[in-house]
Amino acid sequence: MTLYLPIAEMSVSVAVFLALGAAVGFISGLFGIGGGFLLTPLLTFLGVPPAVAVATCNVHVAASSVSGAVVHYRRKNIDVKMALVMLSAGLVGTSLGVEVVRLLRKAGLFEFTVSLAYVTFLGVVGTLTLIEGINAWRHAQTVGVHSPRKSGRHNWMDGLPFKMRFVRSKLYISMVPPMVIGMFVGFVSAIMGIGGGFIFIPAMIYILRMPTSVVVGTSLFQIVFVAAFATVLHAWQNKTVDVVLAAILLVGGVIGAQFGTSAGEKLRSDHMRILLGMLVLIVAARMGYDLVAPPADLYSLAPLRGS
Amino acid sequence: MRRLLSLALFVPLFCFAGTAIAADAKESVEADASTRQVAITSSFTGTEILVFGAVENSVQPSAGAGTYDVVVVAEGTPAPVVVRRKSRVGGLWINTASMRFASLPSYYAIASTRPIDEIADAAVLDANAIGFEHVRMVPASTGGTAPTDADEVAGFKKALIRLKEKERLFIKSDFGVAFIGRSLFRATVALPPNVPVGPLAARIYLFRDGKLLGQYKSKVTLEREGVERYIHDAAQTRPLLYGLVTVFLAITAGLAAAFAFPRSV
Repeated sequence: MTLYLPIAEMSVSVAVFLALGAAVGFISGLFGIGGGFLLTPLLTFLGVPPAVAVATCNVHVAASSVSGAVVHYRRKNIDVKMALVMLSAGLVGTSLGVEVVRLLRKAGLFEFTVSLAYVTFLGVVGTLTLIEGINAWRHAQTVGVHSPRKSGRHNWMDGLPFKMRFVRSKLYISMVPPMVIGMFVGFVSAIMGIGGGFIFIPAMIYILRMPTSVVVGTSLFQIVFVAAFATVLHAWQNKTVDVVLAAILLVGGVIGAQFGTSAGEKLRSDHMRILLGMLVLIVAARMGYDLVAPPADLYSLAPLRGS
Repeated sequence: MRRLLSLALFVPLFCFAGTAIAADAKESVEADASTRQVAITSSFTGTEILVFGAVENSVQPSAGAGTYDVVVVAEGTPAPVVVRRKSRVGGLWINTASMRFASLPSYYAIASTRPIDEIADAAVLDANAIGFEHVRMVPASTGGTAPTDADEVAGFKKALIRLKEKERLFIKSDFGVAFIGRSLFRATVALPPNVPVGPLAARIYLFRDGKLLGQYKSKVTLEREGVERYIHDAAQTRPLLYGLVTVFLAITAGLAAAFAFPRSV
């Protein structure tokens, strides 16, 4: 069965896009990431115009994140207070990012910046996550039990003002680091067209030292808002959100996310980090290869919208 | 899958200028179109348009005689495009050069009785924008890195046509027009699923011995219909509402899935 997409202006196979939505939804639920960094390149690969792919991905990300977040909410795995603190700064970051995107487009450097940002962030985050995961796994192999979070440990964050108690995360820390992280992720996600889960999660684990159990749920909860905000902005400013494409993707996505979330519950955190690290590195390697390898065609074509 | 729309064009070939016509033959063509509107609905997967025409007062002895040459051109709305070229900078492939075109047909299909360079010389083809090499491309005066070298400009133009062909938006059929009688000819024009929605200008040219005897212009409109039209209009005219409704849809779907599944999946 095929369907004509009203905004992308192309005819697509419903089965292929349902399966794609389900697969990305599963990964999204499993790792607590939006999945935008996987879905956007895949949609482009299947012939969806890049501008439509970036905008429409956000709808899918919002839907599968809601689906996953509800499951985590029931299991009390969301630190709502932490999420709101991050979000408040995140929306400021997103607005700044949208402005930077406009300037980069004007200078004709947008595509290159996005590719480079993807490779850099995915590469760094993937490597760190993988190393940390392997270390934790080795540790678990030798000791046999998970080492509990070292409470009362002091670091540089303790010197910062505006301390706040985050009950769910068992933390009493300054509001400044979460806000800086939220703003940074909001900024980056506007430029890269993603929810930012793969940056949120390591930041919450390694910088804020939140317990892994609440990290995934909290990340998903935030991504719902970031993706919803981005969807409305894209639809409003660029008119590139394809609701039919989104509907196909999210039917697969929300179902996939349910299975992914349950599967994630059964996964040990060190295993999860190793898998997520590997997945992120594979995508980074693929994109890095495109930057380095001689392209099949030196020339490329782009429509000029509204100019 | 492809629906065949028959668009019969019985084209009156009025003589534009007295010089364009052979002295001994007053060829003319009668025309009609069975449909001039293609509906883009949710089941649209591309289609074909059948172009029909007849040369009146044809002096052609038989269908295969090849006295006349007919060229059928269908052109989409011109739109601006930018062509970029990558080069290696510090080991990375970056778009370093670009050329903007203020206007290029978004879609261009051409069918002819034989390769067009055998039908007429370049000047005539250029004047009528017949053939990929003769399509009207208007380089933008500003923007891009604005290459000045003639070779470089030619390289960009060639790449532009090649890329459009790859997207199946530039289509050429060298023997796509066939005479099926002394005067009757037909051609099919393929509209791919990704054809830009908008009016298509169809032009039919009649040649004899490299001389343009006449031409006829028609219009085929591609229009969204039904749900497609409703959604597209909503996205264009009420973008904020459209965005909010889309988000609402996404959140509802997510919640529905979460509550439809048992807690212990």
